[in-house]
Amino acid sequence: MLGILALCALALVIVGPMFLDRFSMNVLTRSMIYAILAITVDLLWGYAGVLTFGQAAFFGVGAYATAMLFTQVGSSPTLIGLALVLAIIVPVVLGLIVGWLSFYYGSTPIYATVISLVFPIVVTQLIYSGGTLTGSSSGLVGYTGLPFGLEGFFRLSGICLVIIAVGALIFVRSDGGRILTAIRDNETRCAYLGLNTQRIKIVLMAVLAGVAGLAGFLFANASGVVAPENTGFIFGTELVVWTALGGRGTILGPVLGAIGIDYLSANLSGELPFLWQLIIGSLFIVMIIFLPNGLAALVLRFTRRGRSELPIESSPELVMKTSLHHKNSIDGPLLRIDKLEKSYGSQKVLQDITLDVSPGELVSLVGPNGAGKTTMMRCLTDGNESSRGVVRVAGKDIAGMIPNQIVALGVGRKFQVASVFESLTVAECLRMARAALETPSFVSDSDVLGLPSAAIEILQLTGLDQRLSTQVSLLSHGQKQSLELAMVVALEPRMILLDEPTAGLTKAERTTIGAILKKLTSELGLAAILVEHDLDFVRDISSRIVVLHQGRLVLDGSVEEVVNSEIVKTIYSGGDHV
Amino acid sequence: MLIPANSAPSSELKARPGPFVPAVISIRNREPTAMTLLLDIVTTAAILFIVSAGLLAIFGVLEIVNFAHGAWLTVGAYCAVVTGGLGLNPWLALPLAFVTGAVLGGVTERLIVRPLYARPLDAILATWGLGIVIGQLITLWFGRDVQFTENLLSGTIHVFGANYSLYRIFALAAAAVIGLGFAFLMEGTRLGLSARAIIMNEPLARALGLDTSKIRLVTFMIGTGLTALAGVLLTPLTSVDPTMGVAWLIGSFMLVMVAGSSFGALAIACLVFGGAQVLVSTFISPILGGITVAVLSALVLRISSKGFARV
Amino acid sequence: MKISTLLATVAGVMLASSAFAAEDSIRIGVPVGLSGANSVVAPSVVQSAELAVEEINAAGGVLGRQLELVIADDASGAAGAQKAFDSLVFQKEVDVLISMETSAARNAGLPIVSRGQVPYIYTSFYEGRSCNPNLFVDAWVPEQQVPPVVDYLSADGAKKFFLIGSDYAFGRGMLEFARSYVESTGGEIVGEEYLPMDGSDWTAIISKLKASGADALITSTAGGAPNVTLTKQLRGSGVELPYANLAVDEGTAKNMGADAAGILISASYVTGIESTENKAFLEAMKAKFGDDLRTPNDLSVPQYEAVYLYKAAVEKAGSTDTKAVLDVLDEVSYTGPRGRIQMSKQHHAPLTMYLGQVQEDGSVKVVGTFKDVDPGEQCPEL
Repeated sequence: MLGILALCALALVIVGPMFLDRFSMNVLTRSMIYAILAITVDLLWGYAGVLTFGQAAFFGVGAYATAMLFTQVGSSPTLIGLALVLAIIVPVVLGLIVGWLSFYYGSTPIYATVISLVFPIVVTQLIYSGGTLTGSSSGLVGYTGLPFGLEGFFRLSGICLVIIAVGALIFVRSDGGRILTAIRDNETRCAYLGLNTQRIKIVLMAVLAGVAGLAGFLFANASGVVAPENTGFIFGTELVVWTALGGRGTILGPVLGAIGIDYLSANLSGELPFLWQLIIGSLFIVMIIFLPNGLAALVLRFTRRGRSELPIESSPELVMKTSLHHKNSIDGPLLRIDKLEKSYGSQKVLQDITLDVSPGELVSLVGPNGAGKTTMMRCLTDGNESSRGVVRVAGKDIAGMIPNQIVALGVGRKFQVASVFESLTVAECLRMARAALETPSFVSDSDVLGLPSAAIEILQLTGLDQRLSTQVSLLSHGQKQSLELAMVVALEPRMILLDEPTAGLTKAERTTIGAILKKLTSELGLAAILVEHDLDFVRDISSRIVVLHQGRLVLDGSVEEVVNSEIVKTIYSGGDHV
Repeated sequence: MLIPANSAPSSELKARPGPFVPAVISIRNREPTAMTLLLDIVTTAAILFIVSAGLLAIFGVLEIVNFAHGAWLTVGAYCAVVTGGLGLNPWLALPLAFVTGAVLGGVTERLIVRPLYARPLDAILATWGLGIVIGQLITLWFGRDVQFTENLLSGTIHVFGANYSLYRIFALAAAAVIGLGFAFLMEGTRLGLSARAIIMNEPLARALGLDTSKIRLVTFMIGTGLTALAGVLLTPLTSVDPTMGVAWLIGSFMLVMVAGSSFGALAIACLVFGGAQVLVSTFISPILGGITVAVLSALVLRISSKGFARV
Repeated sequence: MKISTLLATVAGVMLASSAFAAEDSIRIGVPVGLSGANSVVAPSVVQSAELAVEEINAAGGVLGRQLELVIADDASGAAGAQKAFDSLVFQKEVDVLISMETSAARNAGLPIVSRGQVPYIYTSFYEGRSCNPNLFVDAWVPEQQVPPVVDYLSADGAKKFFLIGSDYAFGRGMLEFARSYVESTGGEIVGEEYLPMDGSDWTAIISKLKASGADALITSTAGGAPNVTLTKQLRGSGVELPYANLAVDEGTAKNMGADAAGILISASYVTGIESTENKAFLEAMKAKFGDDLRTPNDLSVPQYEAVYLYKAAVEKAGSTDTKAVLDVLDEVSYTGPRGRIQMSKQHHAPLTMYLGQVQEDGSVKVVGTFKDVDPGEQCPEL
């Protein structure tokens, strides 16, 4: 299907010059180059959720690198090759720098947008200040580049556009490409699946900066002129407008949006310059509010059934995988907490927590609301949370580590509210959990799904194995909880942390989850720490119970010891403080 | 050298010749005095504060970035044009702009911003689109030309030995009034209390019976009203034309990002970055000065994602 | 496929818009900034071109053919200019391009002009040295504009000059020339400062100016907004130095009111020129446009004259053939509101320059006239 579409598009750009007049050909050449940029904006914004105005700057840098080389040095075939390399490499390096600035552990989406505004402003200012080197406000003109005619540039731009569009479509449909959607849906979950989301976004930005630079190279050659406005943030906002109107997250929508609007504006804006912008501006507002996924979403709604109703045959086949991870056993306890303390100012939420957990243990953490249970879970999965004390996982001090590094040590965390990827299918969610262990393919979607046997068992027990191609947003609350548990188990952890896994579940679902947990610990030798309010549930499955009260560990013993303890009765009856 | 063909220098110019200084004494790179520099810094900070206050009011409470901020500055400035056109006292533009800005802001909140509270990035885009639309409507109505506005205050004043622009000193006072007024609004009134409750915990505020959607509306209207007011206050300093607001957008956006939801933090951010802008412009290059606020703000946010909000 | 339907729609629009063009008329393309930075002055340029075409057509046209204007918006920038030039040259197939544009737009258009082989008369003053066999310029360059200003200020006793500009090709080009000219005539530059084109805060620069001990100020900012912000802030800070502005037009000066009073401007056209041609031109403009009249200025009058220069060239060449017209374009002359214009110097024109001073009411009074100032070495290879 994609192949046929691609061949049609290729045929169109190759025979196009025979039917088009020079004006349309000139305009469409530029429109197609802009469409390449729209694809990069779509991958960043539509797929990965990073709203960026900065792609124009990478484009401009590529175009200026080309034009400056041609103007200052000349244009032999070697130099044209050099210009192509520079037009890609320089934006890639800048992309790495901008990416490093934009994406760090704890950075907000709006911050990345801020950087994407500042970057083109700085680049444009440098160009204005560049004197004869950059041509300042007048831009550079009068250089010679690739010796193609009008038709040649039309075909070259068209072929590049088709290749990049097809490449982008293959990528976003691949298992690896789904990572972008996962990051957009739920970046925290990605991190707790062991994915370094910051690095992924930095690499994505650098690669797309390179693609924008390539578009800049094409533009500098085809148009014979580069100007500061090609790099500015206003142009960056135009790219976002085209992407939004065409339909973000569809690749083809932004391509058609860019070509359509740019071509129409070339024809119409001469007659009604202000009205044209007024129309585009109003259309844009309406689209953002009422049709955030653009015209493409409207078309898709009528032409094909949504992804949520994919037929069962398209489900991947479940395959059992032998474990890849943590084969070597460790000496001593798996988790070792020594005098852990967490405070906000003078307020101590946790203090003097010392605790060891060994493989095979199922430790329940109980205590009234505000005892510090969830805070303690956070301190075990984020090395920057604790204020004092040492936490060692498998013998390693986790101080300063970010969640994905701790996951790599063998810690899986299940959140209180099911943390999954709403716009992915069940199978895609599970594959995401394997992405940190087995790098997924970036060009294809596999028709097998390899999971550890324990994860498969969870799916079978809960019936999720029959719904692998269902979109997660359609699952029930209990099914999402089970799916998240299966994802955490699919990580092949040594230890799992669960925050109220039974909250809001039916009795039957609780029993299932309890059985699974017992099996994971007693048969497979995992350690588990469970925060739980349901004391009956705790009594049934725990091998050990730890009681937290007002930030202190007040009791640590076997089920019998704790259940019969006076202290626990006092705490839970809301009586005297200990 | 060219000789005028038919005319001698006019008498108007002769009337105010430059001070006579012998050409042999040439002191290059003379810098402004410390007093002038200090006044430049505080008045620049004051103007930045006036311009970004409305954006902060909206972002601080609603966590929405109003990217049509520049358009509201422009609307305010055109209120000054209309006031002048009607032959009214130029100071009347201030209340007119506040009301116009607030009313338009109310309409915008209802129609455009309200559906987007859950999608803050989309709100940036929709308000940017709105900015384009307002700019084009102003162009269709008033034309592209630079508009004439009467000066609110002109002339200079002697401050601590420096001969300084009276209007810039007035801007300092205006910034103080806006800042203190807002502090009173937030600390001393029911509305402020409700707004602070929304900032801290909106579901709880709603559970306590606060009409949060009304508070959002009023907050947005105050923010846009303040911005339009700032537009009038800018007219003695800038050109009044349909795109005048865009130049101020990025700077105020960055300052607000750094300040978070606190007017105190905004005042500090304006002083620090405005000061840096003046120092860079004076001692290094005004071109670098032009991007100082944006670049420094981005770096501060990179180092500490809360910016100055903790101050 | 969806794109083909789109193309069909768009093609329909294009055909419809070009259908009503008369077959045998001579078509003059005017790419101009109807939107963007130049949109303030563009309407006046279009008006003067319309007057020229109407007058010529009323007098029988050119070689018996009527003239027809085709206007296109270049959005005052490079990207818009590419669309506008493409549209005019290849879609509307004009015979000549005559227009005032930003330097970025002109540069963006030149490759298209070369490819399409049409003559191009550029009617805006600019920083100079734009050379292309198809390009002719009938407006001033720094060599013509700066010396009258500096000489006048020097004669008035100014020795120390302070230069302020917008950071772009025109701003820097003008002030670089001003610096070398001031230094070559024995003056001294005590400061030279630039602000980004969209900058609006001149605080630090004004404080430097006040501390510099300068006795005259020369500025070259981008037209429109930066001119106004700088002047307002200068006046607000009490700067009363003799002040020459290399980039302000009469209309903008008028809008600034009392703030602009005393500013010296140097131009090849001011409305106050006392010649029969200018008076006739102003009356004709008023008669044609009435209340909608945009004040004629140093950008719109060269546009008017360029239409007449093209007419003369076509008549001399006997056809609209590009090569034939280009061959004679530097030989023909026209006497219009600015006097006798002939683009005889390396595709540029010697011009009579006027030094004007803005009065309290915004009008411009001529205080000096400089006959036939030479543009100097602009394009030695042409």
